[in-house]
Amino acid sequence: MLYVTFIDPSENEIEANFEPGDSLLQAAVHAGVDGILAECGGGCSCATCHVILSSAWAGTLEPPGPQEADMLTFAVDPTPQSRLACQVQLKTEHNGLTLNVAKRQY
Amino acid sequence: MILGIVGAGQAACTLILELIRGNFRGQVLIFNGEAIPPYQRPPLSKDWLQNPSRDRLNLLPKIIEQDSRITWISRTVTSIDPGRGTIRTRDTAHTVDHIILATGTRAKKLEIPGLSAQQNVSLRTLNDAENLRLNLAQASTINIVGAGFLAFELAASLSKFGITVRILAKGPRALPQVGLDTAEYLSSRSDALIMTETRLIKFDRKAQSLLSNQGPISCDLVITAIGSEPNIELAEASGLATTSGIPVDVNMQTNHPRVSAIGEVAEYHHTLIGKKLRIESIAQANETACILATHLLEQQSVRHKIPWFWSNQGSEKLQIAGFSERSDDSFLLMDKPHQRVVLRHKDGRVTAVEAINAAREYMAARRLFESNEKSISLNTVQQAGSIFSLLQSSSS
Repeated sequence: MLYVTFIDPSENEIEANFEPGDSLLQAAVHAGVDGILAECGGGCSCATCHVILSSAWAGTLEPPGPQEADMLTFAVDPTPQSRLACQVQLKTEHNGLTLNVAKRQY
Repeated sequence: MILGIVGAGQAACTLILELIRGNFRGQVLIFNGEAIPPYQRPPLSKDWLQNPSRDRLNLLPKIIEQDSRITWISRTVTSIDPGRGTIRTRDTAHTVDHIILATGTRAKKLEIPGLSAQQNVSLRTLNDAENLRLNLAQASTINIVGAGFLAFELAASLSKFGITVRILAKGPRALPQVGLDTAEYLSSRSDALIMTETRLIKFDRKAQSLLSNQGPISCDLVITAIGSEPNIELAEASGLATTSGIPVDVNMQTNHPRVSAIGEVAEYHHTLIGKKLRIESIAQANETACILATHLLEQQSVRHKIPWFWSNQGSEKLQIAGFSERSDDSFLLMDKPHQRVVLRHKDGRVTAVEAINAAREYMAARRLFESNEKSISLNTVQQAGSIFSLLQSSSS
């Protein structure tokens, strides 16, 4: 089974299983990861599923599209590694990677 | 929601910090009767006397002090009206949704016949501390009236200046706040001469001595450190219930729903101790502030938010902020290739923003709706040309 590890705002590590093609948000919701609100339910319309990827993710993803980039500017303290979990499609090569949930979603 | 905080001490500042950490979406007016930004009081009787820098005392990070949600009003509050939510100073009046009394305590005064105010000082504020420091140059002997923590802290600090310090206790022992063993130990460690059962009669100016039941006690300066009393007069005058403080419930609310009290004036039933208490401590100031912040932020989260919607339609992403009736008018604000923003409006107010592939405009509209309780003026958005730029100009 493929998995990624979320580090939630309280520094808990949660392993979340995924199938290739799942979004990070789906994996997080299934694993019950704390701190991801996803108020819009995965529609890139609320910026409350803000996560920060570790450097190991570099090169494995397309950069954020213009919508996601715009939404990220409204996230709390976005960084260059910030993404909205609902917009990240997981692939086999992401197996075993870790990421942080943003400390606050608003 | 507009909050009005009366006082700018520890409890008030912790409340502000917690509200901002909790992403409070309203406005805060904070009334600071002192002419300087909030500062920490605990160091004043301790190492501050040796190293009197104001900067080290700053209570709030600059970024919080300058947060756009906070308005500092450097005036003393003269009255409050809980029913109307009015806070008045000598020359201004402000209407708020909720009043928070964080008025703290003041040093108790002790009149000693014959002793001038210049020679009878107390220590509570930075102003007091600076005044005390100025007096130290001419003082070689200081009598501290009172034998609590403040007296002992001061005695230790003043001894470092080579000053002879006496602690004059009215009762049979010093440090009645702690057990006898502890008090005796601390007394033995103190540089001060501790005199118990001392009743003061008057100050003899010629002899520069306090006359007492134990004979004359010479000194250049008297520091009164006999405890504090709560600043409850504003509450009293406004008709709020008062006791030895301002009684509040578990959420720090007074007997009027529009008024809360925190910090050293707040008297409340402490669930762990099992009785009503009014505690003077920095921890209590912080705790009551945190309790109130949680309560206010919860109220905020149950408050209804402006509705918003989204719909992905092929390559078109529609995002709507606000709620419009079908009969509302439309105004095309932005018309770029693949991007459109339409303002729905009625009576000169924007009721909804319909954004297609324009997430920034949509999010900016949500933020503006959230921060403008009276909605957004159509005219203002038209002039700005973009909701995002309007948001930027309104938050800068």
